[in-house]
Parts: sequence; structure tokens; C-alpha cells
Amino acid sequence: MKEENHEHKHIMGGHNQGHGHEHEHGHMVEICGDISSGETSLGGIKSCGEAPCGFSDAKTSSMDAKERAASMRKLLMAVLLCAVFMTVEVVGGIKANSLAILTDAAHLLSDVAAFAISLFSLWASGWEANPRQSYGFFRIEILGALVSIQMIWLLAGILVYEAIARLINDTGEVQGFLMFIVSAFGLLVNIAMALLLGHDHGHGHGHDHGHSHSHGHGLTITTHHHHHHDSNSSHGHDHHSHQNTDELRLSESLLEKGPAAENCQGNEIKLEKQRNINVQGAYLHVLGDSIQSVGVMIGGAIIWYKPEWKIIDLICTLVFSVIVLGTTIRMLRNILEVLMESTPREIDATRLEEGLCEMNEVVAVHELHIWAITVGKVLLACHVKIRPEADADMVLDKVIDYIKREFNITHVTIQIERQ
Amino acid sequence: MDRSNSFNHSSENPSLNQRNSDVGYSTNDRRLAYSRSFQQSHGPRTPAAAAAMVFSSGEAAKPFLDRTVSSIDMPPEIYFGDGNEELFGEGKEKRGEVSVLRLVLEIFRVLRSGSRQMKRLSLLISLNVAYSTVELAIGLFTGRVGLVSDAFHLTFGCGLLTFSLFAMATSRKKPDHAYSYGYKRLEVLSAFTNALFLLFMSFSLAVEALHAFIQDESEHKHYLIVSAVTNLLVNLIGVWFFRNYARVNLVYRKAEDMNYHSVCLHVLADSIRSAGLILASWFLSIGVENAEVLCLGLVSVTVFMLVMPLFKATGGVLLQMAPPNIPSSALNKCLRQITSREEVTEVLQARFWELVPGYTVGSLTLQVKSGTDDRPLLQFVYDLYHDLGVQDLTVQTDFS
Repeated sequence: MKEENHEHKHIMGGHNQGHGHEHEHGHMVEICGDISSGETSLGGIKSCGEAPCGFSDAKTSSMDAKERAASMRKLLMAVLLCAVFMTVEVVGGIKANSLAILTDAAHLLSDVAAFAISLFSLWASGWEANPRQSYGFFRIEILGALVSIQMIWLLAGILVYEAIARLINDTGEVQGFLMFIVSAFGLLVNIAMALLLGHDHGHGHGHDHGHSHSHGHGLTITTHHHHHHDSNSSHGHDHHSHQNTDELRLSESLLEKGPAAENCQGNEIKLEKQRNINVQGAYLHVLGDSIQSVGVMIGGAIIWYKPEWKIIDLICTLVFSVIVLGTTIRMLRNILEVLMESTPREIDATRLEEGLCEMNEVVAVHELHIWAITVGKVLLACHVKIRPEADADMVLDKVIDYIKREFNITHVTIQIERQ
Repeated sequence: MDRSNSFNHSSENPSLNQRNSDVGYSTNDRRLAYSRSFQQSHGPRTPAAAAAMVFSSGEAAKPFLDRTVSSIDMPPEIYFGDGNEELFGEGKEKRGEVSVLRLVLEIFRVLRSGSRQMKRLSLLISLNVAYSTVELAIGLFTGRVGLVSDAFHLTFGCGLLTFSLFAMATSRKKPDHAYSYGYKRLEVLSAFTNALFLLFMSFSLAVEALHAFIQDESEHKHYLIVSAVTNLLVNLIGVWFFRNYARVNLVYRKAEDMNYHSVCLHVLADSIRSAGLILASWFLSIGVENAEVLCLGLVSVTVFMLVMPLFKATGGVLLQMAPPNIPSSALNKCLRQITSREEVTEVLQARFWELVPGYTVGSLTLQVKSGTDDRPLLQFVYDLYHDLGVQDLTVQTDFS
């Protein structure tokens, strides 16, 4: 029964995209589209299985694992690359007896630490759920991302302090040239790692939850991701032109069964832009480092050219630190919203409540709580009051189906109360 | 200890605790700073009772004297409305709308109407800010890098304390559309951030100790001593303000407990660090070898041990871990009792997590035989879990 549905959607998907990779994405859409029809026929079990459910059924856990493995591979390569560069810098710094090079090596060490944190969080989020940790360990991703953002902030502060220290202990023109060279090297390393981390292949997406949530303004930082997406996206530049319109469409009306065409196209774009939050954190870290390297380079060049304008160094560092902090704001906001158990941005709770109340048997909905365990995995709990004569089982089915269909929230707990 | 006595004390004499300001120091119990006249519990939140409660506000029921009553029963509807409704009760305000002028005005209003601990914290923050500004200015003008680095360290600390203050103020908001569980989590978050910063600090102290060990320079910077002494004094004032929370392992009964504990540990760690610096320079003047390494290393280890329990506890809450004060055996016993009922076939899903310490949320999915009336079952389940202290429970009954 499922196979026919597969075929059907496949053809639909093929028509509307006309891109090279589309049947892979079509696959993703199909699988997700089928879940809603498949699950309710599983002998009337409406929730997902065993007692400590832990968010996994066979499909999602394997896709999760694949995606996690891909992200881990990327981060592992980045860590190794960083470590290699760091040892090179340390050796060179000790040989040349230069404090500046050693300081830069320390910054690379902090990069390694940030990647290690991201790697650990990625790995830990795959641990099995247990009765004490009934939702699994997905939150560790978020906490790890928080820790690495704190580190970014800390490092920005340290860099500003170093600029001030440099200002106070001025030791001549040698500083300018050395600063320039060292930061140029650091910039190259960071760019290499940014390319490594940001390089999304066309088939790298394992998210099945990505397709319905309009994360357009959520995770991805569209301002400067545009540069990098050009080099990475296998779908070319025309991608961006219909990106915005699709985001708007998706942000108004989440996944509906009718216009499957828009969904396919929107989903493909969604899948492309969504990254694991830890890889994103590492990417941000590297980006911040390269921005700051640019700042130090400019400062070094100016000091080299005109040694008496030392204050420029401090001003440059301050400006670029502020820029770096600005890039982290959006991710920090997402992290904070998840940790505060707030309603995810892409879910319109009012619409959900209204949609539920529109049903005949439903009198009222209260105690509605929608929250995310991590970006992309949403849970819902509410109390639904129904008419005394209505059939509780049928209403439960209807409600669960509606929520799953309209908002793609699969982990729901609905308490049916009679008036 | 006398924890249980004071606990019963609070629930039996609600009138005695009807104080307006924050009660930081009750005569019985100095460890648990429970604060207000929160004696509101409605018994188990059964569906029938819940039907009477609207999402945004409810009424206080009479507290009744059984062991399930605690001063921590706070359903999200009832918040400490300190006259903050007009301040914060903006209903469906848009997310993230902040203007600087509004922020400044709010800050002043909050400071005037805040609880005692908040006022103390703001005093502490202003002291710290003043001190670090002076230090920074002196360091810049006289060209002493040590002072500048110390000033930066203090500024980071001040930023964190300001975030704690902000968390204290914001957590009093009522739950609104976007934040359906309210803002109390912010306190746990600020405690976590504080703990994280302290861990970073301990790590950096270890690095400094290593640095001193490698470089082996023991220059006697006497201006740093002056700053260390002043720092110590300021932080000791802070420790005195929050002396109730000056313990390593604290039982957290409310959200604020974690926040206050983290602030106390912050000032405590800072004062230990200053004391360590003073001790190191004294040892150096006596002529002890490697004094700086020893003292810094000791301070680093101490701060780490101090902060770890708080870090683990706040991390556990943020990770949606099952509440630590409810043992697994109790939860299993409840599950067994539920499955022993005849209409229940099996328990499909049982998850519990803590929103803030003291407020547990649970969601259960039961499979029941079709045709049974679920109302007595729901009442039973609610009663069962209310005994454990689960305030917010959603039970889904699947009819097979």
C-alpha cells in the first residue's frame, strides 16, 4: 500500500522541480508524506510504541543517525585540520620566539575546544533514552551549542583585552608586520574550515522534520550564508530568487496535503538550508574567527604602514568583535527559545487552537503547551473538552490526525475531557 | 536537619508567612529561603477542577494540611503579582520587541518594586561596575596591564550578574502566548550561565597557574594587591547578602533558589580568587617557592568543586531530566499501580520533567479497554501523581 503512494508522489515531485537531484528530495518528501496515513492504521496505536519512547521509530532514527554521522565526520575533519595547524603554529612560534604567533595558536586551541564540544554534543545526542532521561539526549545539542556560543563571547572579550594590552605595551613596528602575517595565516585556516563545515552536498540531508517547519528565519543566517551557499549549493543561483517567496508561503501555511507541488519545492529548499545546530555553532565559531582575523589583519597592515596610529588596532578589534557578536545573536535567540520551552516560531498556536475548536465535538481547548526538545522536534500537550455525547476515541483520532497533518507534530499527548 | 520542621511550619501557618517582601532569613531555616505566601494548591488538578481554571489566571484555593501541600505548588496560572501586571502583563505582545527607553524605565520600576534579594543584587552589581570602571580607568592611564585584565574579568562577572538580575525580574511575568510555561525557566538558565562562567574561570586560573609554572616569574606587583583586597571586600559584601545560599549542595525548592545560589557562588568564587592572589603575594614576600602556582592551582580546583553540583543540577533541569527529588522507585510504583487497574491494558508512555525545581510536568499515555469510563481512572491517576508532586499532568487514554 505504501509503494503506490511512493510512486504517486514521485511523479508529482518530478514535475515541479526540474532540478538534477530532485528525486532524492522527492524521496524525502514521500516518506514524510506517508507517515500520516500509515501510522493510524497500525492497529489503533496512536503514539509511538514502547514505554520510554525516546522519539525514535525506525525511519527517523536511521535518518537521524545518518545525518548525525555526516555531521560528525565533518566536525572530525575540522578538528583534525585545526589540530594540525595549531601544532604548526606552536612549533613556529616557539622557534621564532614570538608571542603573537603563540597567541594565535591559543586561539586555534579554542577552536579545537569548540569543535570538540560540538562533536561531543552530536555524539551524545544519539544516546538511547532511559527512564530518567525520558526524552532522550537531544537537548545536549542545544546545551553544547550554548556553551560554544559562550566561548565565542568569551573569546571576543579576550581579543578586545589583548588589543588594549597591545596598545599599552607598544613595542615598535615589528608588531604590525607580524600581526598581518599571522592573522592572514589564521584567516586562511578559518576559510578552509568554513568551506569544510559549510559544504552541504545535495544528498546530505537526513532531516525528515525539516520539511514542514519553516525554519527560514530560524536557524540559518541568511545574511552571510548567501556567499557560502553559492559555492555549495548544487542547485545554482536561481535558488535564491524563489527562496524568499517559498519561505513566505511556508511561513503562512504549514504542510498541507493539497498543494503538494509547493511543498516539494519548499521542502527541497528547507532541507538544503537546515543544518545541524552543532555544525552551525562550529561554523559560526569559525566565521567569527575569520572576521576577527580580517580585523587584526587590517589593524596590522595599518600599524605596519603607519606605526603611530596604534589606536586603529583597538578600534578595528572592537568593531569586528561587535560584528562577531552580532552573528551569534540569532542562534542564541533560538537556543534560548528552546531552553525556555517556548512555542516554536514556526508553529502558530492560535491557528491550531482555532482549528481544533472548529471541530464539531470539541467544546474547548485548554492547557495547550507546544515546545521543542531540540530544533525541529516538537511536542504538544493539551486538554480537549468534548461534548458529553461524543465518542472520545474518535475525537482523539481526529485531533491527533489534524495536528499531525496540519502541523506535523507527531508527539502529542491529548487529554480528552467531557464537559 | 531542621528542614522538615520549617517545611511543615510553612504549610501549617500560612498567615504567618503573609509577608510582602522576600523572606530571606526565617528563624528556623537558614538554608531554604522560601519566600512568600504562595500557599496555594488546589489539590490534584483533576479534569473537573482544571475545567474551572482558565489559561491565564485562576484563584487561590485554600491550602489544606496534608503532606502534599507545599509552598511550591504553583500552577502556572498563579504568579506573584507584585503589581507587575501593568508592567509585564502585556498579553500577546510580539516577541522580541525592545526599545531602549522602555528598557530603562522598566529597570527603574523593577528596582523600586523588586524583592529584597533583587535589590541587594542590583546594589552589588552597581558596586562592581563602579569598581571595575575605576580600575579600568586607572589601568589605562597608568599603563598597568594587570589592572586592565582584572577590570575585564570583573566586567564579565558584572554582565553575568546583570543577566541574573534580568532573569529575576523577567521570571515574574505571567505566561503568555509564546511562552506557555511562563518565564521561570530563565532563572535556571541564568544559574547555568553563571555556573558555566565559573567553570571557565576555574579553567583559566588553571591555565594561569600553568603559565606561572612555565615562566617562573615571580614579580611582586603590589598594585594588584590593592585591587585584590578591594575586590575581596566587595565580594564579601555580596557573600553576606546571599549568605543563605552559601553552600555547595543545596536542595532547590523553587526556581529562584538556583539563581540565588549561582549568584552566591559567583561572588564566593571571586572572593576566593582574590584571597588566593593575596595569599600568593604574601607567600612570595616570605619567600615560598612557586607560591603563585600553588595558590592559583588551589583556587582553580576549589572553584571547580564548588560549582560542579550547581552545574549538574541546572544542566539536569535544562536537559529535561526526570526530577531528581522523585526517585525512580516511586515512579515505577505509580506505574505498577496504574497497570494493576483492570481497565488499563498498558502504559504506553510516561515522561516527566522539571520546568523549574519544584514544578514537575508529566505526560502519560495509557491504553485502556474500549468502552470504559475514563473519568474515575483520570481522577485516580491525577491523585496518584499529585502525591509525588507532579503539578502538571496530561493523560492520554487510547481506547484499544
